[in-house]
Parts: sequence; C-alpha cells; structure tokens
Amino acid sequence: MKKRYVPWLFLLPVLVVLLAMFGYPLLKSIVMSFQNYKLTAPDDIFFNGVENFKKLFANQETSMILRNSLAYVVISVIGQLLLGMILALALKKPFRGRGVYQSIVFLPWAFSGFVVGLIFRWSFNGEYGVVNDLLLKLGLIEEKIAWLGTPGLSLAVIIIAMIWIGIPFFAIMILAALQSIPADVYEAAEVDGCGVMRQFFQITLPYIKPTLVTTTLLRTIWIFNSFDLIVVVSGGGPANTSQTLTSYMYSAAFGSYDLGFAAAIGVMLMIVLGVYALLFLKITRYDKAGDF
Amino acid sequence: MKKRFLAAILVVAMTCGIFAGCGGSGDSGNAKDGGGNQADTGNEGTEGSEGGEDAPAAGGDVTLRFLDVSPSPERQAYFEGVFADFKNETGITVNYESVPWDDAADKITVLGSSNQLPDILTVHEFWLGQLTSAGWINPLDDYVAENLASVQTTATKILMENEKNLYGHIYRIPDGLMTKGVFYRKDWVEEINYEIPTGDDWTWDAYLDLIAALTDPEQNRYGNSFRGARGAFDPIQGMYLMGYTGGYTYDEEGNFLMDTEECAAALQKWCDVYLKGYAPKDSLNWGFAEMVDNFAGGLTGTLLNDSEVTATLMSKMDESQWGVLPVPISGVDKKQYNSTGASYAYSVASSSEHPEEATQLIDFLISAKNNIEYCKMGGLIPIRTDVGDDPTYGPSGPYAVFLEELSQDNLVFPTTYGAFDYTDLHQGMLHTELQKCLLGQITAQDVLTNIGAELTTRMKAYLEANEGATVAAPLSLQ
Repeated sequence: MKKRYVPWLFLLPVLVVLLAMFGYPLLKSIVMSFQNYKLTAPDDIFFNGVENFKKLFANQETSMILRNSLAYVVISVIGQLLLGMILALALKKPFRGRGVYQSIVFLPWAFSGFVVGLIFRWSFNGEYGVVNDLLLKLGLIEEKIAWLGTPGLSLAVIIIAMIWIGIPFFAIMILAALQSIPADVYEAAEVDGCGVMRQFFQITLPYIKPTLVTTTLLRTIWIFNSFDLIVVVSGGGPANTSQTLTSYMYSAAFGSYDLGFAAAIGVMLMIVLGVYALLFLKITRYDKAGDF
Repeated sequence: MKKRFLAAILVVAMTCGIFAGCGGSGDSGNAKDGGGNQADTGNEGTEGSEGGEDAPAAGGDVTLRFLDVSPSPERQAYFEGVFADFKNETGITVNYESVPWDDAADKITVLGSSNQLPDILTVHEFWLGQLTSAGWINPLDDYVAENLASVQTTATKILMENEKNLYGHIYRIPDGLMTKGVFYRKDWVEEINYEIPTGDDWTWDAYLDLIAALTDPEQNRYGNSFRGARGAFDPIQGMYLMGYTGGYTYDEEGNFLMDTEECAAALQKWCDVYLKGYAPKDSLNWGFAEMVDNFAGGLTGTLLNDSEVTATLMSKMDESQWGVLPVPISGVDKKQYNSTGASYAYSVASSSEHPEEATQLIDFLISAKNNIEYCKMGGLIPIRTDVGDDPTYGPSGPYAVFLEELSQDNLVFPTTYGAFDYTDLHQGMLHTELQKCLLGQITAQDVLTNIGAELTTRMKAYLEANEGATVAAPLSLQ
C-alpha cells in the first residue's frame, strides 16, 4: 500500500461515522426542504420546489420570530459574557473558600436545560411563583404579573434563564485564560505606573481575546440552536410571541409533523449561522488575535 | 490469508443472519400455531409450553387467542386475570397476545392478509374501513340485538348505529367510553349559596354565570381553569358553538358554518371569561396539565374536561370539595353536544374457528363486573347501564353524571374539524388565533373568519380530492 494512503486509512473510521451521522442527515434535510414531506401523509411525499421557503417568508409571524431570535441571542450572549467576565475576574485572585464558592457558582452549567426550564417556569408562575411573591413583599409591584402570559415578558423570562445557565461557561473559559497570563506582565505594568483599567484593556483583554472570540462564537451558535428552554418555559407562547426560529422549527417538525417545512427552516438557520460565523471571525480578526 | 479471513467474516455474518431469520419465523410461527388451528395449538403443546396442558390433545378443549393493541403491564395483568376466571367458568383457555400500538396496524394487516388473525382483537375505529372491506372481522349485530340492546347506554347505541350506517353492520363492542363533563368546586358553591341551574336551564350561559360567581380575587379564587394553549379551540368548535349550527361544522359544499355574527358574539362571551379576570392571566398558556393541576390545587372553580380526570381528582382532593356537572346544553336547540367515543373495541376475526366462543369471551369481558374493573383501570365509563350496584358507577358515585349524560335522549355527537389532516392547525393556528383575541390583537369575529377561511379551504380541497366524499353529519338517536 502506498504511504500516502496510510493517513486516509486511519481516518477512514472517523470519516465513515461523520458521513453517516452528519453528512447524510445534512444532505437529507437539504433535500427534504424542497419536498412536501409530512409524517401524517407518508404516501404523499413529493418535490414541491421552493414552496416551503415561500411559506416561511409569506408567514406574517416570521419577521416577529426573527426579531425574537435576534433579541434572544444578542441579549443572552452579552449578558452571559459580561456576568461571566465579572465572575471570572472575581475568582481570579485566591481567597478563603474560593474552591467551594467556585463549585457553587458553576453549578447552573451542570443542570439540563429541561430542569432549568421547569425551575424558571415555576419561579415565574403568575399565581404561585416565588418571583411575584418576592416582588409583592418588597412592595415593588401591586398586582401579580402574568410573566408567561404576557407578550414580551415570556421571552424576557426565557432570556433570563438562558443568561443564568450560561454564565458559568463564560466564567470557566475566561478564568482559564486569565490564569494563563504571566504575572510578570502585570508587575512590569505596575512598575511603569499603569492603572487597573489600563491593565485590563491593554493587557488582560488582548491576552484573553482568542478565548473571548471562540467562546462568544460558540455560545452564539449554541444559543441560536437551543430551543429546550423555550419549549419548557413558554412553549413559544402566548400567540407565538416567545417563539424563535429554532423553537419554531421544533414545533413544525414535532408538533405539526411537517418535516419539509421544518427542514426549510433548518436550512435557513444553517445559512444564517454560517454567514454569522464568517463575518464574526473576519470582524474580530481571529487569526491575528493574541499576537503581541 | 486475506481470502480466508474474508470468508470467515462472511460465514459469521451469514450464520447470524440465518439465526436472526429463524427468530423472526419463530414469532410468526407462534402466531400461526395459535391462529385458531387446533392441530397447530396441539403441536405447540407438545413443545412443552404451558398452553399445551390445555391444548385440544388433552381433551378437545377450545383455546382462543386474544390480541391487545395497547399493551401495558397493568392491562396484561387485568386481561390474564379475567381470562383465568373465564377458563374457570367455561373451560375455554384464552392466550393473551399483544403488539405495541405503533406497530398494531401493520401487524393486523399482515396477520389478516395471511389469515392468521387472533380470534378476538382490540380494534380502533380508524381501522374499521380496512378490516370490514377485507372481510377480516365478523358482524356482531345478532349478539348486540340478543344480549346488549336492553342494557347499552345511549352513547353506545349511537356509536353502534353509526357503525351500522357506515359499514352495514356492527362489528365492534366498545370496551369503555370517554366523555366530557364540568368538574366544579362543590364547597365553594355551598359557601356562596349559589344555586346551579339544572335540566334545560343548565345552558352554556348558565355555566359562564357560574364561572363568574365562583371568582373571588380576594381569596385568590378564579372561576375557571381556562384553556389558552393547544386544544383551546376544541371545546369551542366541538361543543360550545355547535348549537348554532345543529352539530355541523360545514355546509354541504364545505363552507365553515361558524363564521357568523351569532357565533362571534358567543365566542366573545367565552373570551370574556379570561378578559374579565375569571381565569388566571397565565391560563393564556395553559394546556391539559395546568388546567387539571390548578383545579386540583384549589386555584380554579370549574374545569371542563374528560371523564378520565375523575381518577386524578379522586386521588388529590377530598370528595366533599368537588362534584361533576353535565356538559351544558345549547341555549339555542336545547341539545347536549358532547364529544364521546370508545377507546378501543372488541371484534371477532372471521378466520376464527371458534366464533361462538369468541363472542362468549366478549360477553364475559363486557359483563358488568369486568367492564367496571376495566373502566376503573383507565378512567373510562362503562358501556352499559346495569352497573349501578358498583359504588363507583352508582347513582352517587363520581361517574354518575357521565353515565347519565350518555343515556340522555338529547345527546348529540358533534362533527369534528374534518377527515383531512389538520395537525398543523391544531398545533398552531387554532389556539394562536384565540390567544390573539385574548390579547386584544384581533376580534372574536376575526378569529372565526381566519380559522374558518383555512378550514373551508382544506375541506373543499378534501371534497375535491375524494370523489363521493361528503361532509360529516352529527350523530344522535334522532
């Protein structure tokens, strides 16, 4: 056997698995997006051109769902990034009980989205929820708020839950990056009379930029793709006002069993996320990040 | 070397394939063995199976096969217990077989086409067209006329008459019925000294009045477990507005009939339950679980739902706290439109060599004692009226109102959305349009117009695509 084929031979098992587990479903979903493919009519599957995409763009609620998706992703990522950064900076320097504290604050990351969804659904329950109870006792509100029954508020609850669950991931990643910055760089900066803020913006941030870029990119894609919290907390309601593109896709696939339409939404998602990833890497100049 | 290695792999693969193939045939072989063929059953016995002791070789006893299409450990235990009693009483052995619901239709098709159906099978109404046109099940008209006519509820009679109209004969005996009623807080009603109207006065308007009366914000009490999420439009279309259309959803040409000013005004009253604060604001997102939980939890005073909820309430609430009222009658035509149906039903296979014994088994299964036990297990209503001795189904039992409902002469089974696929509407449009109205984004008339336009389009397309198809008519004794 020629030597140049040997690496391919070793890669073959992985390639086969990748093709079977990712390549085939990907191709299949692209094909399905051009089909009338409903599970309720398995004998009536046929190619229908771009009908599924037309249906998506003709839907009066699509623009609202896109706006929801944008708000959901942007606010969640920024919230997680800022709070995760603060947490990481707080945990950077050793203090008594740091290990225990660190374990506790990283706990949300260990919970499943389903469990977090249930916790928030009950916490924000309009009648029995602890949030309304606290707000009433503190005198901040006079009447109970129907968090999950009010357009806008239901999406806000989901965003709060998403921020809560994602803070530890940012904190872990940023903390790891912070701890890799050599201490002598800060010592030299102090000798040169550099203030805390300047140290942060001119030393800390550039050092952790690759981590920030990768983590933000990953979390953006993950959040964009996540629908478990939405399904559990509000089911996309009321009147679809907390629906995002992904949860809408889930509803189309597993509620209406319209797999063709769901695949069309999936293809749209893929395009949006692909363009986002390219633009993000370009704008953040990821390839040059961390160069000093 | 390579060739030998390859050959060895192929041999192993082929051997595994052969064993796998044998496994499959073994299953079907068993099915065949028990397929009403006594000689085969005897052979099965010679292989040392337990059933062999009762096989014909032992003395000419009859062995029946029973197929359950919705198996669970609880159901299997119930059926095996009943079959043991049946054997003690008649000497007839019944073997319990099951197939998971998802595979049931395919399995029955395979067994039917190869003439191997079990003697008795549980059948869903969806399969009746196929089973009757293929001639795989026997008519049971004579059995019903001789044994059931005097004890069946009105609902049972309507279901059977409908089957006769559609397929020419009665082919199935329902195992139990499910219907709707209004669960209410008896203690709250007593507390406020409210007199609930009865008889012809128990109309939908009276029900809405009761909801308003039970609401007490100071005590954190709401009058109704309002359904705003998926399924929210079902009681509106299937019961509440039916009085305005005589139980029809479409006219002969397929036009939606509820898009009228009268219906819109009625729908507005329905929405007012939410808009006027007689239901919690969160109920905009409530489905079945939330409705039941909040009624059982003491937040709401009424709950319009299926009889199966009774079992849950019995386990969670004190009996002095709640009661059941019948579904209100229409103020327009004084009829009670109530969606009712059988979960499954028993049929006798035409390939059975012991049809008389099979019918005897069905008679045993639906005898008052067994039907009661079966129905209690699944929260169903017995199909017969002579169950009054059992406290659960007696005149003061928790199911009494449901039994009474199913025996009323003014009972009508209303029509559904149609025979076309409306899964996507049920998942989305039907309740989101209602939610928009509850949020003040559109009017009640808009709800009916928008939903009506979509349903009309689909019904017309269905009528056009299915030559000879007609719109469904409501079912009643009249």
